[in-house]
Amino acid sequence: MLFDGVWFRYGRRAAWTLRDVRATVEPGQTIVVLGRNGAGKSTLLQLAAGVLRPTRGAIAARPSVIGWVPERFPADQPFTARDYLHRMASLRGRAPSAADEWIERLLLTEHTTTRLGDLSKGTAQKVGLAQALITRPGLLILDEPWEGLDATARALIPGIVAEVTAAGGMALISDHRGEIENLPDAIHWSVADALVTPAELSSPAEPSSRVIIEIETSRAEADQAMAKLTAEGHRVLGVRDVAAEQPQSSRPRPDGTITPPETRADKAAAGSWNQDRP
Amino acid sequence: MTALTRMRLAGFLRGGRVISPAIAVLVVLGIIYGGGASPASVAYGYSAAALFPVLAWQTKLLLDTEPDVQRRLARVAVRARREALAGVVAAAVLALLVCTLAMLAPWLFHGIDTTKAVLPGMLLGALAHLLAIPPAVALGALSSRAVTRSVRNGVAILVVSAVLVIVLGLQNSFAPWLVPPVMATARVLNDVTPPSATTLTLLVTWAALWCAATFATYAWLRRTRS
Repeated sequence: MLFDGVWFRYGRRAAWTLRDVRATVEPGQTIVVLGRNGAGKSTLLQLAAGVLRPTRGAIAARPSVIGWVPERFPADQPFTARDYLHRMASLRGRAPSAADEWIERLLLTEHTTTRLGDLSKGTAQKVGLAQALITRPGLLILDEPWEGLDATARALIPGIVAEVTAAGGMALISDHRGEIENLPDAIHWSVADALVTPAELSSPAEPSSRVIIEIETSRAEADQAMAKLTAEGHRVLGVRDVAAEQPQSSRPRPDGTITPPETRADKAAAGSWNQDRP
Repeated sequence: MTALTRMRLAGFLRGGRVISPAIAVLVVLGIIYGGGASPASVAYGYSAAALFPVLAWQTKLLLDTEPDVQRRLARVAVRARREALAGVVAAAVLALLVCTLAMLAPWLFHGIDTTKAVLPGMLLGALAHLLAIPPAVALGALSSRAVTRSVRNGVAILVVSAVLVIVLGLQNSFAPWLVPPVMATARVLNDVTPPSATTLTLLVTWAALWCAATFATYAWLRRTRS
C-alpha cells in the first residue's frame, strides 16, 4: 500500500493535519504509528482505511478487505453484541455465524445478549475488534487497540496481528501507551508537526548502576559516619530519626534503584526523600 | 448492501426514533381526512404534498440514527458508494411503507368520495405519492448529518428547503423548476378534468430531473464526507 504525497486537512481554511505523506507498507509488515495526542495518528489511520479521503495525493494498492477498529466503539446502537456482530458479518457478505468464532476467541460469549450500550468500555472495544476480524483483513487498522481492554484481551492482540501479517496482510496500529513492546517486529512511524517520519525507538534504559543503602547508627556517631562515607566517595542523601516501627522490606523499582521501606516516619518525610533522591 | 439497508431500518425502528415522524404522519392524515370525503385524486394529491416534508424529515432521522463512527465502519465494510446507497434505499423503503399506509388510511375514515371515479383517482394518487418519495428522500439525505456535519445545519437545510418547495411550488411562481413538482402535482390532481398523458409525462420528467440533480449532489458530497 502506497501513500503517494498525501495531504489532508479537515476544512478549506483549517491547518494541514498531514502534509506530503510518502510511505509504503509491504505485505506482512506491522506499522506502529507514534505521536502525541492530536498529532494526526487517527487521521492517518482513517485515511488508510478509506474512511477519509486525501485532500491531495492518493493512497494506492489498498487491500480489498480492510478491518478498522476505531479508537472508540460506537456503542449507542439498539443491538445486542451478538446481533450486531451477526449483522456486521452479513455486511461483509459472510454468514452471520462467521462472527461466532471471534465471539469465542475474544471471550465475548457471556456478553452476547447484552445490549451494546450496556457493555463496559473494554467489552465494547472487544466487539469493535471482533467486527474488524470477521473476514480476515488484508489491512488491519487498530486505533489505540489497548484502550480499555483487560490484561487477558490485551495479550491477545499481538497474536491476532501476527496472524494477519503471517497471512500476507498488513497491520497499522496507533499507540501512545507504550504497548508496542508486545510487537517486537513492528516498524515505527512518528507523526509530528503534520509530518510522518520513520521513528527510531531508543533502546530500553539500562538498569541504574547505583543503589541506595540505608545505614543505622547511633546519634552520637552520625556526624562521623557521614564524614567517613563522604570521604570514601559516597553521597549522603539524608538523615532521619529511626521510628519505633522497624522497616519490613525494601521494594525494588523498575529503574533499578531500591526505594526505602515505607514506615510511618518515611511517609511523613516522603517529600524530602523525593527531593533528595538522585 | 441489503444487509446494511436492513441494519439501518432495524436501528431506526428499534431505537424509537420512528415514533416522532409516525405521530406527524397521523396528524397530517387526521387533518386531511378528518373533515369529510373528497374525490380520490384530490385527497391523494393533497396527501402526497402534505407528507413531503414529513418524509424528508423521516429520511433525515433515519440517516442520523446511526452513530458517525458506525457509518464509517459500514463504509469500510461495503465501500463508500454502497454505504451511501444503502441509506437512501432504507429511507425509500420506509417512505413507501408510509405512503401505502397513507393511501389506505382514508378508507378507515371514510375520507374518499366513492360516488366519483375511484380507481383512476387511486392510480393518480399512487403516482402523486411516488413522485413525492424520491425528492423527499433526496432532500432528507442532503440534510443528513453525514453531509451537513452538524444537526443545526441539517435542520436549517431541511426546513428552508421544505418551505421553498411549498412557496416556489405555488401557482405563478417565478421559478417553479427549482423545486420538485409536489405542489404542481397536487394542483393537477385537484382539477375537475383528469390530467392528460402529456401533463403526467411532464411531471414525471420534471421530478426525475430534479431527483437526478439532487442525488448526484448527495453522491458527490458523500465522496469526501464520511
